[in-house]
Amino acid sequence: MLLKQIKPGEIVLEARGITKRFPGVIANDQVNFEIKVGEIHAILGENGAGKSTLMKILFGQYQPDEGDVFVGGKQVKFKSPLDAIDLGIGMVHQHRKLVPAHTVIENIILGHPGAGRIIDLPRVSREIGELCERYGFSIDLKAKIWQLSEGEKQIVEILKSLYRGAEVLIMDEPTAGLTALETEKLLASVETMSRENLAIVPFITHKLPIVLRISDRVTILRQGKVVASFETEHATEKSLARELVGRDILIRTERTTVEKGKPILEVQELSAFNDRDLMALNGVSFTIHEGEILGVAGVSGNGQGELVEVLAGLRPSVKGKVILDGKDVTAMSSRKRWQLGMGYVPADRNHVGSIGEFSLVENTRMNYYFDSSFYTRGSLNQHKMRAFTQELINEYGVAAPNPEVKAKNLSGGNLQKLIMARVLSRNPRLVIAHLPTQGLDIGAIEFVRNKLHEAKENGAGVLLISEDLDEIFSLSDRIAPMYEGKFMDIVPIEQARRDAVGAMMAGITLEEEI
Amino acid sequence: MWEFFIRSLDASTIFLIAGLGELIGQRSGVLNVGIEGAMLFGATLGFMTAQSTGSYLLGFLVGMAIGGLLGLMHGFFSISLKVDQVVSGMGIWILGFGLTTYLGAPYAGPLGMDRIPTVMGLSPFFVLAVVLAGAVWFVLSKTSLGLQIRSVGEDPSVAEVSGINVSKTRYYCSIMAGMLMGLSGAIYSLDYNPVWNYNFLQGWGFIALALVFFSLWNPFILLGGSVLFGTFWQLSLNPQLVLPGLMSRYVWRMVPFAITLGVLLMMSTKWFRDRWGSAKPQALGQPYFKD
Repeated sequence: MLLKQIKPGEIVLEARGITKRFPGVIANDQVNFEIKVGEIHAILGENGAGKSTLMKILFGQYQPDEGDVFVGGKQVKFKSPLDAIDLGIGMVHQHRKLVPAHTVIENIILGHPGAGRIIDLPRVSREIGELCERYGFSIDLKAKIWQLSEGEKQIVEILKSLYRGAEVLIMDEPTAGLTALETEKLLASVETMSRENLAIVPFITHKLPIVLRISDRVTILRQGKVVASFETEHATEKSLARELVGRDILIRTERTTVEKGKPILEVQELSAFNDRDLMALNGVSFTIHEGEILGVAGVSGNGQGELVEVLAGLRPSVKGKVILDGKDVTAMSSRKRWQLGMGYVPADRNHVGSIGEFSLVENTRMNYYFDSSFYTRGSLNQHKMRAFTQELINEYGVAAPNPEVKAKNLSGGNLQKLIMARVLSRNPRLVIAHLPTQGLDIGAIEFVRNKLHEAKENGAGVLLISEDLDEIFSLSDRIAPMYEGKFMDIVPIEQARRDAVGAMMAGITLEEEI
Repeated sequence: MWEFFIRSLDASTIFLIAGLGELIGQRSGVLNVGIEGAMLFGATLGFMTAQSTGSYLLGFLVGMAIGGLLGLMHGFFSISLKVDQVVSGMGIWILGFGLTTYLGAPYAGPLGMDRIPTVMGLSPFFVLAVVLAGAVWFVLSKTSLGLQIRSVGEDPSVAEVSGINVSKTRYYCSIMAGMLMGLSGAIYSLDYNPVWNYNFLQGWGFIALALVFFSLWNPFILLGGSVLFGTFWQLSLNPQLVLPGLMSRYVWRMVPFAITLGVLLMMSTKWFRDRWGSAKPQALGQPYFKD
C-alpha cells in the first residue's frame, strides 16, 4: 500500500484549493487542508458550512470542481469511494453503513478482496481478532449488527476501515449517539490509533469539548471557507465558538430559578410497549411543576420515545396514569391534550413535526385547526391563518421567503424554529421537548434553549428529553437519568454530578463517596 | 404409490427451479412477480424450438435464453428506470400470457418426441434441482459473491460504500433469476407434461413465488416446501391413488391452498417471528437511488 512508506510527521493527505459548487451555493470555496501521519486534525463547522461536502470529496464520493487532492504527496483523482479505500482512506459514518441482519464479520469483510472467493472464516476471524487486540477493541465477531449498541456499531465501522488497510480515518460526528462511557472508550481508542501512526480526521458540528480534548489541530469552516486553522493547544471553547459562528455566542450557562408553582403534570407508574411489543417504558413516576424544567437524560432507545408518545397521546399505555393540570388525561386524544395546554415538540421534525410537502401555513395550522378563532362561518379563514403564520415567522426569525414555501425547503434549524413557534404561541402549560436541538447548529441550539428557558420563566412546566449532558445540565432544574425504561433517580441540579448522571445513563449507580 | 411419489417430485422440480431463480433475485432486492410470465415464455418457446428442430437441448437453451432476456428487461425497468417492480413484473406476466397464447396456438397438441429418459421413473431434472438448491445455498452463505448479493438486497447504500456495484449485481441476479424461471417453464412443457394448450401453467409460477416467501429465503426450506406442495398438488389431482374413497376430489383440490393459508397464519404469529426473525431482505422491491 502506498502509504506505508510515509514516515511519522509527514503529510499523508492534502487538499489544495478545493472548490465545489452546487446550484445556487458554493459549498466549498478554496478550501485547504492537510494531515500528517499520527495526527488528529479536527474539522469543525456548523450545518451547511461545507463540512460534509469536503468529507465526501476526501472520500471520493464527490469530485471537486477546482483544486486537487494529494495522497502521500502524489496527486490523485478519486472516481468513487473505492479509489479512496484502495489508497488507505477509511470512513466511519455517523449514520452507520452496516447491514443490520448480518454478523459483525460479514460486515467487516463485505467488499474486501482479501476475504477470498469462498470465505475463509477462521483466517478472517483471526486477522480481525489481531486488529482488535492491537487497538484495544472488544467485540463479539459473531453477533448480528442489530444486537449491538451504537458504540459497538462504531467499533465495527472502525474495524472495517482498518481491516481494509486504512491509514487515514475520516470520522463523521464520532461521539454522536454514544453514552458517556462509550465516548470515553472511543477517545481512548482514537488516541491509541494515533499513537499507532494512523491519521484521524474527525468532523464535528458543535461538541467543542471533544475537539479540545483529542485533536492536535483544528480547521474551522464557515460558509464554505476555511476561517481559521490552528494548533488546538492555542484554542479555548469560546474562541472556537466565535470562529464557528462568526460572532460571540452565548451558550447558556446561567439558569435562573423561578418560583415553583403547582404541579402541572403528574405521571404515575406509567408503562408502555414499544413497536416490537416489548415493555419499553416500565413504571415511570414523576411530577413537573409550573416554572420547572425536568431534564430526562438518556441514550435514545431507553424508553424516552415511548414516554413522550404516551404523554402526547400517540401511544397507548398499558398501566399507569397521566394527570395534566389536575385532570386525568390518560385516555384522552392528542387534540384534547393540546386544548388542555400541552405542547409537543417531536424529535423527528421532518416526519412527525411537519409535513414536508405542506406549506408553512398548513404546517402551522396543524396545531390550530381546532380553534374556532381561525374559522369564519364554519370554514377555515385562510387569510387569518396566513397572517398569523407570517407573524410567527417574523417573531421567531424563521428564514423563509414567505409563508407559502414548503416545509421541506427549510433548513433543520428554521423548521425547528417554526415548530417551536407553533407550539409556544399557544402558551402551553406544559412543553414536551424531545431532542429539541438534535442536529442543529450552534446558533439554532442557542435559540431553542433560550426559548425553552423563556417558557419556564413564563410559568410553564417543561419536560426536556436529551442525550446531550451539556444541554441537560444547562437547562434542567431536576435531572432524571433514564435507562431501560426506568428513571434511575431524580436529582435536583444542585446535587447532580456529571459523572454520576453519565453513569446512570448506562445503568450504573456510582457509590456515594462522602 | 411409487408412481404417485415420482410424479410429486417431478411437480416439485418445477416449483423448486423457478423458486430458486426468484430467491436469487429477491436476495439481491429485485422482486419479480412476473415469474409466471417468464415460465410461460420459456415453456412455449422451448416447446416450439424443440418441436421444430427435434432437439431437446436447443429447446431448453431457448427457454433459458428467453427467460434471461425477460430478467434483463425486468432489470432495466426496475434497476435503471427505477419503476415500481410489481408493475414491471405484472407487465411481464400479462405479456407472457397474451403473447404465448398467440404464438403457441398453432403448436397446440402433444410434443411428439421420445420422452426424456428417467432413472426408475424419476426425471433427472429433480436431481438437477436439488443440486441447484445446494449450490445456491453455498454461494449465498459461504462465498464473498453471496455476501455481496445479500448485502445489496439488505441495504444497497452499505454495499455501495463497500465498493460493490449495486446495479451490476442486481442485473446479474435478475438475469440469472429469469434464466432459471425460463428453464423451469421449459421443463414443464418438454418433460413434465409435454403437451401445449391454452394457459397450461395454471398459476404454477405464482405458487413458486409464494413458496419463496414461505421459505424465509432459504434454499433448503424452499426445497422442502416445493416437495410438500408438489405432493399435495398430485394428491389433489388423483386422491383415489393414495386414499381411495376418502372425501370428494373437490375437497382435495382445496387442500394445498388450505395448507398454504395455515402455514402463512403460523408464520404471522409472534411465536414464529420471535423464533425465526424476519429473514426478508430489507431492500426487497425498492429501487436504489444514490445520494
